[in-house]
Amino acid sequence: MNMQQNQIPQDTEKLKEIPKWTRRYAQNRKLTLLVYLVIVSLISVVIIVPVSCLIMAFEKGNMILALVGIVSLIAVVIFVRFFRIRNIKIWKWMDQHIYGYEGTVSMPEPKLTKKKKLLELVAVILYGSLSLGTMYLGMANFIPAKYVQPVSALYSVPYLVFSWYFWRSPRMGPIVLLSPILYAIHAILIIAGVPIFFTGQFGVPANIFLPLIVYNHLTYLISHFYSRYALKKLKGIAHLEGDATNGD
Amino acid sequence: MEIDRVIHEPARLRIMMILAGVEQADFNFLLTTLNLTRGNLSRHVEKLESAGYLKVKKSFNGKIPNTSYQLTIKGSKSLARYWENLDALRNEPI
Repeated sequence: MNMQQNQIPQDTEKLKEIPKWTRRYAQNRKLTLLVYLVIVSLISVVIIVPVSCLIMAFEKGNMILALVGIVSLIAVVIFVRFFRIRNIKIWKWMDQHIYGYEGTVSMPEPKLTKKKKLLELVAVILYGSLSLGTMYLGMANFIPAKYVQPVSALYSVPYLVFSWYFWRSPRMGPIVLLSPILYAIHAILIIAGVPIFFTGQFGVPANIFLPLIVYNHLTYLISHFYSRYALKKLKGIAHLEGDATNGD
Repeated sequence: MEIDRVIHEPARLRIMMILAGVEQADFNFLLTTLNLTRGNLSRHVEKLESAGYLKVKKSFNGKIPNTSYQLTIKGSKSLARYWENLDALRNEPI
């Protein structure tokens, strides 16, 4: 055995896994996004309440309820505006508090050409239009409440898969695909006869958006746990001990 | 067959490998992941930077200064060559 062979690290195959686990950790550290999504979801609920109040007030001619609805709606609009203006600052502040102690690591932004940006805009408009169309057809009883979610799955699932592939990868890992998979399974279960759908006044939007919100949150939670696992694996390989921690 | 001595040092090899997996990583991340002291990590990244393997980015997180590191193209190529040479050396008949 020559001199150089003596100096070959014993754990070379393990060392080669460092980029893989670093990438998996970076792609899945989504706790800030999860907290942010919870806040946005709460804001959405806070918006829905005064709007519902307003609708009910005008239906019943109750002016006090209408006034409460209008005042709450104005308060919510002011809050949302403040949130939007300070969006980046709030995000950075949250990220610093959540991940500050273990440092920052980032994945490259997806390469967006003009064509891709245009395609994204078209896809968003198409997705929005199809969602509104499904909502309208559901509320007008052209689509039974039971089939609203399976119908929306027909375009939501491909949209979510394509949006990850074209516009979110490599910043986000393939774990994000769990959300459309769960949404598709939800649709299949409804068609198979499992009663996991809503009826009533807000049944249609709830059938479309509630599973989407729940599965998104669940996906980011799983992603967060996976990032902890990836970091543990990474530290297991990369941690230096003894003399190796010294300089030269 | 020459093994790159700058990369071959255990801490520097790990720094390079971490940066090979991502776009950039900051000082704190390298510090906690590698279990190095601040002084040692600084010395290692300085050595890699002077070899042209790393790019340093200084910024502010609010009022807190932040230093991030990114692998350069030269660094990526040298790391790939390092592994090629090392693997060739490992497979050499004794």
